[in-house]
Amino acid sequence: MDQKFNVTELETRRQKALGMGGPERLARRRAQNVLNARERLDVLLDPGSFHESGLLTTSYRPEAKEKTPADGKVTGFGTVDGRPVAVVSNDFTVLGASSSVVNGKKIKHVRQVANDSGMPLVLLGESAGARMPDRMGAAGRAILGQDPTEYLRDRRTPWVSALLGSCYGSSTWYACLSDYVVMRKGATMAVASSRVTELAIKQTVDPEELGGWKLHTGTTGLVDAAVDTDEEAIELVKRFLGYMPSHNKEAPPRVEVPEGSDETILDILDIVPESRSQVYDVREVIRRVLDKDTLFEMKSRFGKSLVTALGRIDGKTVGVIANNPKFKGGSIDIDACAKATSFLVLCDSFNIPIILLADQPGFLIGIDGEKRGAPGRIMNWMNAISQVTVPKIAITLRKNYGQAYLNMGGGRNSDEAAAWPSADYGFMDPGTAVNVLYGVRYEDDPARFKQLVEEIAQDNAPWDLASLYELKDVIHPLETRSYLKSVLAVHSRSPSGGVGQHRLSGWPTSY
Amino acid sequence: MAQLSISSDITGTVWKVLVKAGDKVDEDDALLILESMKMEIPVTAPEAATVLEVLVTEGQAVSEGEVVVILDA
Repeated sequence: MDQKFNVTELETRRQKALGMGGPERLARRRAQNVLNARERLDVLLDPGSFHESGLLTTSYRPEAKEKTPADGKVTGFGTVDGRPVAVVSNDFTVLGASSSVVNGKKIKHVRQVANDSGMPLVLLGESAGARMPDRMGAAGRAILGQDPTEYLRDRRTPWVSALLGSCYGSSTWYACLSDYVVMRKGATMAVASSRVTELAIKQTVDPEELGGWKLHTGTTGLVDAAVDTDEEAIELVKRFLGYMPSHNKEAPPRVEVPEGSDETILDILDIVPESRSQVYDVREVIRRVLDKDTLFEMKSRFGKSLVTALGRIDGKTVGVIANNPKFKGGSIDIDACAKATSFLVLCDSFNIPIILLADQPGFLIGIDGEKRGAPGRIMNWMNAISQVTVPKIAITLRKNYGQAYLNMGGGRNSDEAAAWPSADYGFMDPGTAVNVLYGVRYEDDPARFKQLVEEIAQDNAPWDLASLYELKDVIHPLETRSYLKSVLAVHSRSPSGGVGQHRLSGWPTSY
Repeated sequence: MAQLSISSDITGTVWKVLVKAGDKVDEDDALLILESMKMEIPVTAPEAATVLEVLVTEGQAVSEGEVVVILDA
């Protein structure tokens, strides 16, 4: 009876597939305190929610069939906090989770279903690159590029990547296409491994230096956050998803407002120094404006003079772009430009209203920036902000100088603009302006210099802008949170249900 | 004990030097203040440490990435 319909064979095949790369390889991972592909899914998904797609797949090559359970990439669907997601979990114990014909089909399928049914795609990365010998020779080329949308990022649903081991090939490419990327310290991401690098160009390089967390969170900005364990990485994936809609045709979910959210702002005046040349950490301001404990910073080690963060106001997701005087005095460098642009793309793609908090002395000038194409990056940002169709609210905290005023939402680049009374609008610092306009330096004539600086500073105050209805209001710093709650409700985009036009959804993924 | 090289993250001028060799500092303590983009920008200690050497003097120009203080942590 047991043999009817070959159910015994089915069970045998299932067990073999679930055994992954075999007990020895799995034991080695456990000894290193690293989770395997299926354990990672257990951490990510709600218990019992995993619906696997392709458990019985293997390599199509006869000699590899027996050693390729699930062909090295575990794929399927499940729920995270009750909301559906599609998943790809790379099984490094099976031929290094290398990319093959069959597992390529698996990724393609779950990606397609994620788009069609409107659910995020989560990629738990760890992969060796292209599988050999499958992709060797001219015939190997014939299996590449058969899906013209393989690397198309049109941002119909959120994509999230966790880099949890050595990542070359597939895991690297998908991480770079993702909206949020977290890395376990010790993992690496690179175009090619240090071994290949050494063979090909005779460059001896440590894997950590070639593609470790410090490089990617601090220098390239390709990774948002680095943590110590697989579990912490997956926890961040879940937190990120909590701010996002399941797809771009709905507004992000609304959650309950934590108690005490209106009280944290009370000491905001102690945070920001009155002297415009002194610095502070703008994250302390953001924290007080958002619902309690909802600040979720992106790329915190990259382009640090500008903060990009998700958070909530009145239970609804918002995106915050804020200059951070704590680093480089808040001056906007190239990395800050790239960071702002990628965040505008995220918010525009997924119907997240944007709040811009300005306190910046201008773009960081100098030869380093010019060599890296600073003007191009600045216009990239302007091009992006011009196309954003979600509500944009701009508040000037203190200084808001030069052309960067426009990047921070000045003029028609925001739907609503307000300022603190401390706002300072000039083309440059009043001291520098006196040098440039009148040719007077402090050393030449201290009394006249001071008088001219005062005159220019007075002209820079927010009152004229408010009287001309460029600023819709000047607000007391203590009113910042209530102002934002109210103005976000006003700009509800009710006819579209808060869904924007997503003009940036096809924007390049890094630049 | 490990030597920590603290570098400037911006091109500018040293405005004030706040520590000298032998001083004990806590995490986030300002070691010196740079002047750049008309802002007073502190260079801070990444962790509690002892100052081994201050490599710059007030008024000196520094470049982004230039080591300005060496700490012993």
